[in-house]
Amino acid sequence: MVSPLIRLCSRRSLVRHPWQLGLTVLGVTLGVAMVVAVDLANRSAERAFALSREGISGRATHQILGGPRGLDENLYTRLRIELGLRQSAPVVEGYGRVNGETVQLVGVDPLAEAPFRGRLQAVTDLPVERLLTEAGTVLMSARTAGRLGIAVDGRFRFLAGGREYSLTLIGLIPEDRLRPAARDGVLITDIATAQETLHLTGRLSWVDLVLPPGAAGEVRLQHLRQWLPPGTEIVPAAARTHAMARMSTAFHINLSAMGLLALVVGMFLIFNSVSFSVVRRRQLLGTLRVLGLTRAELFRMILREAVLVGALGTVLGLLAGLALGQGLVHLVTRTINDLYYVLTVRQMLLGPAPFIKGALLGLGATVLSALGPAWEASRTAPRSGLQRSQLEQRSHAAAPRLAWLGIILISLALLGLWLSGEGLVPGFITLFLLIIGMTLVSPQLVALISRHGAARLRGRRHIQARLALRGVEASLSRTGVAVAALMLAVAATVGVGIMIASFRSTVALWLEATLRSDIYITVPGAAGAAARPELDPAILEQVRALPGVAAVASGRSLRVESREGLTEVFALDRPAAYPPRYPLKQGRPGTVWPRFQRGEGVLVSEALAFRRQLGPGDHVELRTDRGRRRFPIIGVYYDYGSGPGTVLMARRLYQRYWQDRGIDSLGVQLAQGAEREQVMDMIRKQVKSEQALVVRSAGDIRRDSLEIFDRTFTITRVLRLLAVGVAFIGILNALIALQLERARELGVLRALGLTPGQLRGLVLAQTGFMGALVGLLALPVGTVLALVLIHVINRRAFGWSMQTLLPAEIYLQSVVLAVAAALAAGLYPAWKMGRLRTAAALREE
Amino acid sequence: MGGFPWVADGLRAGPAWIEGEAFPILGAGPPPAHTAMSQIIVSVSELNHQYREGERTRTVLNGVTLELHRGERLALLGRSGSGKSTLLNLLGGIDTPHAGRIRIDGTDITRLDERARTLFRRRHIGFIYQFYNLIPTLTVAENVRLPLELNHEDGTAAAHKTLSMLTRVGLADRGDAYPDRLSGGEQQRVAIARALVHEPLLILADEPTGNLDAENGQQVLQLLDRLTRDRGGALVLVTHSRAVAQVADRMLSLVNGRLSEDGAELTW
Repeated sequence: MVSPLIRLCSRRSLVRHPWQLGLTVLGVTLGVAMVVAVDLANRSAERAFALSREGISGRATHQILGGPRGLDENLYTRLRIELGLRQSAPVVEGYGRVNGETVQLVGVDPLAEAPFRGRLQAVTDLPVERLLTEAGTVLMSARTAGRLGIAVDGRFRFLAGGREYSLTLIGLIPEDRLRPAARDGVLITDIATAQETLHLTGRLSWVDLVLPPGAAGEVRLQHLRQWLPPGTEIVPAAARTHAMARMSTAFHINLSAMGLLALVVGMFLIFNSVSFSVVRRRQLLGTLRVLGLTRAELFRMILREAVLVGALGTVLGLLAGLALGQGLVHLVTRTINDLYYVLTVRQMLLGPAPFIKGALLGLGATVLSALGPAWEASRTAPRSGLQRSQLEQRSHAAAPRLAWLGIILISLALLGLWLSGEGLVPGFITLFLLIIGMTLVSPQLVALISRHGAARLRGRRHIQARLALRGVEASLSRTGVAVAALMLAVAATVGVGIMIASFRSTVALWLEATLRSDIYITVPGAAGAAARPELDPAILEQVRALPGVAAVASGRSLRVESREGLTEVFALDRPAAYPPRYPLKQGRPGTVWPRFQRGEGVLVSEALAFRRQLGPGDHVELRTDRGRRRFPIIGVYYDYGSGPGTVLMARRLYQRYWQDRGIDSLGVQLAQGAEREQVMDMIRKQVKSEQALVVRSAGDIRRDSLEIFDRTFTITRVLRLLAVGVAFIGILNALIALQLERARELGVLRALGLTPGQLRGLVLAQTGFMGALVGLLALPVGTVLALVLIHVINRRAFGWSMQTLLPAEIYLQSVVLAVAAALAAGLYPAWKMGRLRTAAALREE
Repeated sequence: MGGFPWVADGLRAGPAWIEGEAFPILGAGPPPAHTAMSQIIVSVSELNHQYREGERTRTVLNGVTLELHRGERLALLGRSGSGKSTLLNLLGGIDTPHAGRIRIDGTDITRLDERARTLFRRRHIGFIYQFYNLIPTLTVAENVRLPLELNHEDGTAAAHKTLSMLTRVGLADRGDAYPDRLSGGEQQRVAIARALVHEPLLILADEPTGNLDAENGQQVLQLLDRLTRDRGGALVLVTHSRAVAQVADRMLSLVNGRLSEDGAELTW
């Protein structure tokens, strides 16, 4: 038990230095906030996905799936009559837009719903009869109705597949008290309305089943498998959900890593602040030791202070994380909608886990960072306290040792990269080892560069610069850590910046090479790549007949679900005169494309090849309407348009195995001399269709695609900026501490005749030098990080390879950022030192 | 040159809080009772201590042997760097000697581990420094109460002892002030109160007047003299000034790492 007076003394010490306390708290706050916000956003997205799947699947144990256009509805009737499978329910599902918002339309059979209470739970008060007897009627949750501005018995427009429908809200589904968001953005209707609205007449998306557990269920399952026609498959409901969720796993891991980076930077900040508070009070700690405070008591006192600061920062960080999470969840769901699947739940779903994790990380990081300084404090010699020179001596002695440790960690990281195979998490662990290793090397580099720099600055004219450099070297305990923290943040900025620039340039080049047609026609989709509605086949002939059109290519994209998970398939029909020319990673264009056009095999995207370890000569198995079929792979192509990976096949091959005759995109090749804008105008005006069409040039698609790309990385940019913010606070804190504790030394310089202006110049020269040093160190470290991110992390996460682009402006920006941050951080200490009262400073011990 | 001629001059009258006390002038109190061996409170034998200075080793204490009786006041003289403060730190258990023994009230503190030495110091030693070393974030009263709290003496008794001590050093009305609001002399009086409040066996004072002007120095010495006599604890006073050393019963000089008798025992 430490004396209450010691606790009082410790508390007052904190309060007497509000600047330092505030900055440390802010550092912890930002670090924790970022981890919590990212975690909240990730978990909200994952939970939103699980809830929406749960809302649709209900208590189904298995689902029967069909081809690209689902199942024939007669299958359901036969299932109930021939097999007597009463615990089955049909579902027709799709997406549309209401008042600018993407919603999910789910058609169910209310009479078959009894075993699947998840969908229409407690529906006794609902007008189910009206749902069955009146066409175009729907139910939705009060929350959704309120947000969309629709009243009960109100009519509203529903846009799907380029067509507009009028629907009527006839009742509100009661909220599930435990999961209020489960039905958010979901419209429930009967099968017939859903089929008509989603253009799936006579089709079902899937059939839900409840099979008994154990051996009885297994027998039933085997029997069902034999009974089901080719092209259909029965899969466990949970496995299907899991397969979809897995698509975005790498994206979530990437985000978590960014959040952790901020916390690591925050740890440097805490370490710096706590060690400064120890050094600043060395005399006081020495006196306490003389008065009889044991080492353990002193250790606990410092640790308790750190925990107090950490707890305050953690609480504020949790609150800030909650606020930041609101914005982040929007960015995350938007990215998921763009790249993976449609999420209709948009709000943050709160659970205790991110807060518990944030609190543990915040406090854990604080305690971990404070252990060193607290140990240092407990070693304080009584009376004299830890002499500044003693501390600096130790820091100088420790720097080379740390550098060696850093080199060992870097070597281990490089070895890890080589040995860790293709795993993403080991990839991140080695990346962090690399970062920490490089950070540990930096204090020694600071010492060496400042020492040699000062030695070179001979002569009277350089006295201020020499003093500045000597100051940096002499206060290595302070400057080494500050430079390391800012270097880490700036290097992360450089690394992530280069990675994004390289990725963007690769995607831009890929778009340039891939988009062969001049004009593209699609129908407005509910969301991005996840759902592409069908085009009316009559449009194809109309476009072909237009003047100025040389040829029309068509495409059909679909997702094939099976026990192995999801596979995207793109069936392409290009005129012989305009063969595809996707850039190939494996295979020679001269042989691959003719074989492709003849339907001799398929191409797989780089991501799919990486994920399933496939290459030319291998086979990829797909569930077709004629049962499972293995397709020979004739090449691997670059594709950045799909997260899970795509199988590319010629239309003629597709039609051999699938009964689907639908198309969802057209590519128009212009005749020589035809005006693109003119033809686009003609398509818009002359093509007769009840569908609204989206007519875009290749340039428009490139622009839109890069816009989606930029949107995807918005969140990364936000996180990167926050990490720099944390580091900025770190260096500000270190510099204020450094300059204020040098008050006496600066007082001596004033007494010797340095003007206040020269003193300010000295402080700014020192901080500017530190900034330049940070910039200098951050560039190579950032480049190494970029290389690892591009060639290891992104490859392992998404299976995409990219070219490395090293843009000069990113380097320039980073150096400017480092120097500006350091100079900005030096402004207050410079102002303060300029107003130094010499006599008072000299009197200070 | 330094020195305190006013001590030799027979001492001018101090302020009211000194005049009103039982022993208004130095040396006027009862002589220390240290006739029997059983009253030896500090026993130092064959103490050796060295410092490393780069590649070289410098011996600062070389076979120091010393005995100190209960209530005795010893002045330790010597030039700067002669090892006076080192000896003081060894006596206080702040540092450990390379060789030799230090027994305080029967406990060989050189055999204690760091923690036990600290706890021993907490209970039995009082330190006074040239630069006061008060805790700036604690008030005057809190500074004085701190040793009592560390020795688990708190509550009303501790408050009473604190107030009594502050009254004796003439600062009863400044209990709520922070040290930086006090003059140097006042701060040193607080430091004395803090060093004595828990009635230690041994008081170690390292140049207690070194940072004060003549008048304040005189007052502090008078106070130290009176309170140590009052409490019966032994005092070791480190100084480089012969005039200050006059307050002691015995003077020893530290030269070349060895102690030598310096001047006759004072018999005021």
